[in-house]
Amino acid sequence: MELKVIASHRCRLPALALALAPALVSVMMMSISSPVLAAAEGEELDTVEHTADGVYLDFAPFGSIELPRILLVRNDEGMRLDAFANTTAALQSGMYTLVHESEDGHIEHVSDEAVLAQMIAGKVHLHSSIAPAEGEIVVDFSVTRHLVFGILAALITLMIFITLARQYATGRGCESAPRGIFQNMFESAVIFVRDEIAKPNLGDKYPRFLPFLLTAFFFILFSNILGLVPFGGAATSNISVTLVLALFTFVLGQFHASKDHWKHIFWPPGVPFAIKFILIPVEFIGLFTKHAALAIRLFANMMAGSLVILSLIGLIFTFNSIFGGAVAWGVTPVSLLMTLFISFVKLLVAFIQAYVFTMLSALFIGMAVAEHAEHEGEPPALHEPKRDVTPLFAGDGDVVKATTVERHREPVAAA
Amino acid sequence: MEATALAWLGAGLGAGLVALGAGIGIGRLAGPAMEGSARQPEAAGDIRTSMIIAAALIEGVALFGLAICFLLAIK
Repeated sequence: MELKVIASHRCRLPALALALAPALVSVMMMSISSPVLAAAEGEELDTVEHTADGVYLDFAPFGSIELPRILLVRNDEGMRLDAFANTTAALQSGMYTLVHESEDGHIEHVSDEAVLAQMIAGKVHLHSSIAPAEGEIVVDFSVTRHLVFGILAALITLMIFITLARQYATGRGCESAPRGIFQNMFESAVIFVRDEIAKPNLGDKYPRFLPFLLTAFFFILFSNILGLVPFGGAATSNISVTLVLALFTFVLGQFHASKDHWKHIFWPPGVPFAIKFILIPVEFIGLFTKHAALAIRLFANMMAGSLVILSLIGLIFTFNSIFGGAVAWGVTPVSLLMTLFISFVKLLVAFIQAYVFTMLSALFIGMAVAEHAEHEGEPPALHEPKRDVTPLFAGDGDVVKATTVERHREPVAAA
Repeated sequence: MEATALAWLGAGLGAGLVALGAGIGIGRLAGPAMEGSARQPEAAGDIRTSMIIAAALIEGVALFGLAICFLLAIK
């Protein structure tokens, strides 16, 4: 159904306000968030641990939730699928040992119950991996932090678009103007994706790929924003998630690719014969690196954002341990100001990265499905035969006159 | 110097160079973008969009380098 509404700038304000609020609150909460509290109590501020994937959800002053472990294990008897409510249960069942790195650096498998209980009490088990007592892990299907937040982002996207679709199906927004903040806000966003991203890059074929582009855009956007709220995490800061998204783009593009696309890769036209053999591997590998860059760009941007914020806050504690309390108090306002600034940058980056990913996806898919009729070195005809171009209507008070066009070009001197 | 110390040193230097590269690249693109917008305010919207896209791409390359620095620092 054609959305015949002009998106007004006022519709963008609610979106902006709704997005800014989490950023502001998150910076305030950052000062009481878990790694900061842990560092305040004397433990290390583990920035990498907190940004990377983990098997527990951290709600710092209130506690943490351990996530279920689902493991596909193979031993001498065959394969079996184990499911545990959390890591503690897995360790206490006796079927798994903790792979722990002791202080002098060597790795030991801890299966003794007393030592295990001590480690569980000290929360060590959350930072090390577990191994089955006999056999090896084939695939680890455990629910991790990034999975939880990824599913949350996906659910949010689903709910929003199902609600939107239902509203448009009742005619609201098609036969009459869209009503309400929700519909207007998302109509602006959807029209933006359609007109600025899909149509310029895909041309006439855009309806086929628009659902994917919309999905990618909103999933990445909500996932990035979830990484900014307190106690949240970004699924897109996991390389697996971004790689899969880039894989979708790749598969979609190549599946619907036109013959011209393959011809251009394997037999580039307009290139001297000898160079073709150098160009073919370059083009072929370039196909994969373009999509891989798509994945890595998104992943690195999201991960770097989290790391930078935690590092800036960690500055306070570093100054504390090196120079003492007074200097640390002096550094705190500077550090917090920088954190606030970086949080705004991260918010901007969240939107920009979603836009860039979607736009480059559209570009790559567009390049793959584009069909251009190429005339290799054929000049336009020198003589065009007579054509009738009589207009339908004449001007004021005039009568329609029969008109024809005939073109004859002089040949240009050969270069 | 032991390998770990060299790795940390490499990571630090690398991160600095990455920031330098990104800064120069994006700075060189932002300057003419401002000039173009000043000359032709009607085109400011288009220029802004192209600038943001180019900046994101340049930053992507910078972050590849940063990811390698992190790998060095961690492993």
